[in-house]
Amino acid sequence: MLKQDLIMKNPLRLMGHQTDDILCDGGFGAVIARAGVGKTALVVQLSINAQLRKQNVLHIALKDPVKKVCLWYDEVFRNIVEHYNVSDQDKLYEEIIPYRFIMTFRVEGFSVPVLEERLTDLMEQGIFVPKMIIIDGFPFHDDVRTSLDELKTMAKTHGFHIWFTVTAHRHDMPATNGFPPDFSQVADLFDTVIQLLPEGKEILIKSLKGGPENMDDSPLRLNTSTLLLVDHS
Amino acid sequence: MNKILAEVKKKSMKTDIKHVRNIGISAHIDSGKTTLTERILFYTKRIHAIHDVRGKDGVGATMDSMELEKERGITIASAATYCQWQNHEINIIDTPGHVDFTIEVERALRVLDGAVLVLCSVGGVQSQSITVDQQMKRYKVPCIAFVNKCDRVGANPDRVIRQLRDRLGHNAIAMQLPIGLEANHEGVVDLVSMTACYFDGPNGEIVREEPIPDDLIDLATEKREELIDAASMFSDDLMEAALEDTITEDLIISAIRKATLIRELTPVFIGSAYKNKGVQPLLDGITQLLPCPLDIQNEALDLDQDETPVSLVSDPDKPLVALAFKLEEGPYGQLSYIRVYQGTLSKGDTIINVRNEKKVKVGRLIRMHANQMEEIDTIRPGYIGALFGIDCASGDTFVDRDINYTMTSMYVPDPVISLAISPNDHQSEISMAKALNRFSKEDPTFKTYVNDETGETLISGMGELHLDVYIERMRREYKVALTAGAPKVAYRETITKRADFNYIHKKQTGGAGQFGRVAGYIEPVSDEPFIFENQVTGGAIPTQFIPACQKGFEKCMEKGPLLRFPVTGIKVVLNDGASHSVDSSEMAFQAAAVGAFKEVYHKAAPVIHEPIMKVVVETPTEFQGTVMGTLNQRRGMIVGTQDEGPMCVIEAQVPLAEMFGYSTLLRSSTQGKAQFTMEFATYRQVPKNIADEIIRKVQEENKHVA
Repeated sequence: MLKQDLIMKNPLRLMGHQTDDILCDGGFGAVIARAGVGKTALVVQLSINAQLRKQNVLHIALKDPVKKVCLWYDEVFRNIVEHYNVSDQDKLYEEIIPYRFIMTFRVEGFSVPVLEERLTDLMEQGIFVPKMIIIDGFPFHDDVRTSLDELKTMAKTHGFHIWFTVTAHRHDMPATNGFPPDFSQVADLFDTVIQLLPEGKEILIKSLKGGPENMDDSPLRLNTSTLLLVDHS
Repeated sequence: MNKILAEVKKKSMKTDIKHVRNIGISAHIDSGKTTLTERILFYTKRIHAIHDVRGKDGVGATMDSMELEKERGITIASAATYCQWQNHEINIIDTPGHVDFTIEVERALRVLDGAVLVLCSVGGVQSQSITVDQQMKRYKVPCIAFVNKCDRVGANPDRVIRQLRDRLGHNAIAMQLPIGLEANHEGVVDLVSMTACYFDGPNGEIVREEPIPDDLIDLATEKREELIDAASMFSDDLMEAALEDTITEDLIISAIRKATLIRELTPVFIGSAYKNKGVQPLLDGITQLLPCPLDIQNEALDLDQDETPVSLVSDPDKPLVALAFKLEEGPYGQLSYIRVYQGTLSKGDTIINVRNEKKVKVGRLIRMHANQMEEIDTIRPGYIGALFGIDCASGDTFVDRDINYTMTSMYVPDPVISLAISPNDHQSEISMAKALNRFSKEDPTFKTYVNDETGETLISGMGELHLDVYIERMRREYKVALTAGAPKVAYRETITKRADFNYIHKKQTGGAGQFGRVAGYIEPVSDEPFIFENQVTGGAIPTQFIPACQKGFEKCMEKGPLLRFPVTGIKVVLNDGASHSVDSSEMAFQAAAVGAFKEVYHKAAPVIHEPIMKVVVETPTEFQGTVMGTLNQRRGMIVGTQDEGPMCVIEAQVPLAEMFGYSTLLRSSTQGKAQFTMEFATYRQVPKNIADEIIRKVQEENKHVA
């Protein structure tokens, strides 16, 4: 399989979207699931797809060190190329790595002004200008509306969109809009929300907001061993 | 000497193998590990005075035995020493802290059963601690941690424990609480015995136990609960005792030990070696929690059984298996540090060096205490000692004549940097040859050879500092007057596409003729340096000439036609050819292969590959942007940044060619507050514009040589 074919296997396209870029500049997307269900794996797949399309991705991890994030990328990339039988895997990986920048913070040390300062460092020196940002481990349980508003403004100004992972808890009852209670307070800021639901030995993918219309006809699933989307095509 | 000998014999007869600990002390540079070792030796009465590492009194710490180490305040060569504590015998290897000497650390870890990871309570888990930790993981060395320098401004052992968990993934658990920090650091609270320990006397040699200060009781109780919770995960007995409220100190220690041995728990001790606080409890920890040789499963490879792994048993009566892990040149000849894994090594024994199958007669056996020695008669399994006057290389295995085992070979990376050296006079030439011979025997990552085109002597190694230190050692220890050239990067060549060849080597104009035709193709491969495949059918090339063809191609791999750098990653497929009944010979086909390679190589889109280093910079956050800028200017690809409160860690991949002089630049652009480590990561293709520049330079140099 060639690189171009691999791009067409983007999780978003598999979910039924017509394009890879469903979020506009300043747009927010969220992947909601309980711990260990596959949120990071899914956002890393979105990130790898953007890198294959030569788009810079800034991956911000608030819980994991750089090394662990790198391992996620190694693992997911290996699973993808093996699944789709891609030739010259090492060369392709080397080709996409420059489109990735990992930043890790401690949750308590992360704030929008700090991120803005770091980003300015990167962009002014021409080191890295992101087109997409992933924030893994954002503390939605705190009062975060102000921070999210600031992030949205920053994303619009600098021309990128942001994907978040949101951890749901087993004991939390969903709010009336179907979102986890913490997240429901800020759900209006999000354009797309995807939920991963463990069902028996499978993980179902459900669109809670902004999904393609035909998505619920044949629900998508994550392969539990590779955490890749199951491709029925 | 006789008195010492008698004492040693008496003690070794008394010592049970269960009471032996072979440990290493590993850490980031400047974490204070040499000071800690010095204090350990003092409290175990191996030395009777304490000296500073940086040698204010002109003596220097005992373990830093080389002059250069004393001057730089870093440990370069691992000196081995032993001491006794609470009826336990502890062999200590003081390991180097700089990544350029990683092979020393790796070799030390190979012979150790356990290790103490020393961390600075201010600097915390630094980049070198991460490298050392990875090495410990590779060799599955159980470890305990010591958070040192609690007397320093900014000391925060709690933060270091968190970093151990977050950055190194250790299940770190505090064994102690500090009583005061920074200037008020007075002692520690032992969470197992729930007592406060203070260290009295001029050198902290008297341990005074007192009740826990009132203001620390609540915190100590809480931390003890955490300790018991963590330990009880590995012991049902402790879990039951916790439920029934019948916990004993022995139960806690035994559970923690069990978890430590399988690397599931890292007990953390705290103190300040420099201020003589917390060292004796750490020694207790070493004896109580780290493994004895019996706890560790060591394996060798049986050369008679196609290198099948065989388990070694710490039985003094079994055939000998011993590993020479460190060589040192002393005033009386070569000293080879050795660990016996199985059997007994005795004075007068005849043993075999597996590498060259030579018989060796064991002369003097000694036990080292840094650079002082004690003579002994035997080294039993699990023990570390040294042999005198035996010619061997480091990493050699010695065995009895009945077996043919070798210890697992260690991973030795290829050198990435080289430089030319030339002696200034005849005497220096002789001494330089001696020094190079010794260094390359001692350190497998240090190589030396003569460039047959320029006649220059080249040394190569793992980094600029690595080579600098050997040049300095030649100057100081061997009094060599030499001139060193600029460092050169070890580039490589490879091809990027398949190309066909069909080449005739023909010389039939007079005298003995030569004829050979070879045809086939070359193509890139990623996982092997060279593959040769013979697909010739129907005797187009007679079978007896095929090896000559292979030899011809192999010869071309040594120096690429593009720039004379070594060529890697090529598969040669030979599928046709022709021969002459009289004029074909091995020589003719070898020449045909060489001619074919030279002809086809340029059609296969050759490129240059350069070594890429993993560079980790630790810097105060305010300089993060500046540091990233310096890396970016040097063609560095920043992999990631990690914010750690006031400090931040930047990880990047940078071509080695761009790293010369980086330490000076980093110092000047961060007010000396940042530091970096560098290790080889991979080889990667040089960008076109840089490759053109390299080609131009090399061609100029070649012209100059010609």
